Amino acid sequence: MSDRPLVLCADDDEDILSLVTLRLERAGFDVAKVGDGDAALAAARELRPAVAVLDVMMPRLTGLEVLAELRADPSFAELKVILLSARVQESDVERGLDAGADAYLAKPFKAQELVAAVEELLGRS
Amino acid sequence: MRAAPAAWTFLTVGALAIALYFAVLPAHGHAQSIYYVCIGFASVCAIFVGTVRNLPAAERLPWYLFGLGLLGQVAGDTIFAVYEIGLNREPSTPSIADAFYLGGYPLLGLGIYLVLRRLGGQTSRTAILDSLVIFGGVVVVQWVFFIDPYRHQAYTSHAARYVNMAYPAVDVLLLVGLAQLLLGPGGRTTAYRLLLVSVGLWVVADELYGLNQSSYQGGDWIDALWLGSYVVWAAAALDPSMARLAQPDRRLLPRLTRSRLLLLATALIIGPAILVFEKAHNGSSHAYEVAPFTAAIGMIVLARLAGLVRAVERARRSERLARREAEQAQQLLSYQNQQLVELDRLKDEFVSSVSHELRTPLTSISGYVELLKEDEASEERRAYLEIVDRNAERLLGLVSDLLFSARLQDGQLELQRDEVDVRRIVEHAAESARPRADAAKIGLSVEASDVPTILGEPDRLAQLLDNLVSNAIKFTPAGGEVNVRLGARDGLVHIEVSDTGIGIPESERERLFQRFFRSQTALERQIQGTGLGLYISKAIVQAHGGRIGVQSGETEGTTFVVELPVAGAS
Repeated sequence: MSDRPLVLCADDDEDILSLVTLRLERAGFDVAKVGDGDAALAAARELRPAVAVLDVMMPRLTGLEVLAELRADPSFAELKVILLSARVQESDVERGLDAGADAYLAKPFKAQELVAAVEELLGRS
Repeated sequence: MRAAPAAWTFLTVGALAIALYFAVLPAHGHAQSIYYVCIGFASVCAIFVGTVRNLPAAERLPWYLFGLGLLGQVAGDTIFAVYEIGLNREPSTPSIADAFYLGGYPLLGLGIYLVLRRLGGQTSRTAILDSLVIFGGVVVVQWVFFIDPYRHQAYTSHAARYVNMAYPAVDVLLLVGLAQLLLGPGGRTTAYRLLLVSVGLWVVADELYGLNQSSYQGGDWIDALWLGSYVVWAAAALDPSMARLAQPDRRLLPRLTRSRLLLLATALIIGPAILVFEKAHNGSSHAYEVAPFTAAIGMIVLARLAGLVRAVERARRSERLARREAEQAQQLLSYQNQQLVELDRLKDEFVSSVSHELRTPLTSISGYVELLKEDEASEERRAYLEIVDRNAERLLGLVSDLLFSARLQDGQLELQRDEVDVRRIVEHAAESARPRADAAKIGLSVEASDVPTILGEPDRLAQLLDNLVSNAIKFTPAGGEVNVRLGARDGLVHIEVSDTGIGIPESERERLFQRFFRSQTALERQIQGTGLGLYISKAIVQAHGGRIGVQSGETEGTTFVVELPVAGAS
């Protein structure tokens, strides 16, 4: 097993999912990727990632619903969650942060912004 | 009452002539008879002259009728004079003189009716009822005091009796006419007042004559009333204001004036008053004649009052109806307003949704282009990728502006206020824009001094500066200059963004900050844009409690001036 931090990425858009994965892998993280909210929750429970990067608008469970489930489970108290969304109104950002997200990134994002956010949450900046 | 010169002159001369009639001429003599006829004839002539002078042909009929009616009286007087002078006696009764006298009254009555009709207000139900009341009251009084007494006097023939009874009977016409003139419109017209006086004088003279017929002699003082009536009637015709009597009176008169109330009350009590009077004086009674007339008058007054009550009820119904319609209109308006609000919300939701759907593919485009640029060794291909990236950025800017604009429509612009150093924002905006200015071969300079901080949101202020500087670069041809100045005075931070660009015509400056407005020049020169930048800029400035304005030449050079209150300034 790698000693690199595991980042769970969830997005229903395969292109963006691949992009995020590629960027994080290039930055030195292990990445697990899933395509919907249900799978994200199952993967989080199984893989226990250090960081979860969740799209907000996903089928089955939205990113916010996944976040709520995770925050309701004390065993995920250490898990850092980044919401990544094309919904960029202030009310959307506020809703995400109020639900317990550690960071909220707007799409389109710069690679540097994403990596910096993950590293900061892991205390590696 | 001021009469015009002709009328005034006739009145004066007429008054002197009447005075002469009594003061100089021998009483009850032939000279008086001739002189009486002359005054009457002169007055009739003056009526015809005044009528022709003051009225167009189509409107002369009422006054011709007055002239003819009075001419009938003059003719009667002439016959009397001829008898007195030629035969040394009065004509017998009935005579041809009576035909002229009596024939004149209907003409006078008809003339009054036509004058009142042309003034308007005499054809409504109320006016007709009032006329009937007046008629009823006058008929009762005339019958009891002036007509019926002839039935009990001795006459040589029935014809003589009936002729004598006919005089007070035709006076009914003038009495009704007088009452109608008193109630009718036109009181402000000199001619109307003169007409009223003349009819009044004639009626009073007739009634006094009727009461003293047996003792009357030509040359008695009652003649002054008839002569006065002739003269005043002529003055009315000579006064130019008589022309106004031919036009409808547009003033709104109340339905129930004090004089009308008085009239109704008089009509109601006239019957009982006559009966009481008769009982007190001679014990005889006209109860059989008075009772039906009084009852009829009572019924008419009742109908009149019922009409008033119905009118009030109609007015109330109309008011209720109008109120209900107003309420319905209000509800409809409210419903339409809600629909508009809902439509506006749906539109903004649509824009927000579109914005989200556009951002998602843009994420892939920008992200993979960024990757490719990092991995691409070829300078040429990197330049191509740069173009793709720049256009993706432009598209993203457009999407952001649309979303922002939709939020402004919702009134959602709430600032996360903090103390902001505007100088840093200005300099940063200029530095960000410099590559674009360089690419467009435009000089970009900044003159910024230290200014007090303001309370605002840095991101929004950066957006404002970026909009203004980007606009200036966009609208300035190669070789031009863009200058950003920053200063502070009077508790305000001043930002000026000037360019040597294409200018803004006066006609477009007012609409410049409207949503989606694009100047004609921008459209003609195909300068890209959505018409949202300045709309958003103004909203940002206003959210910060500031003002934005523009100074521009018609064809060259524009300066946008922004004033923002410094922190702590009220």
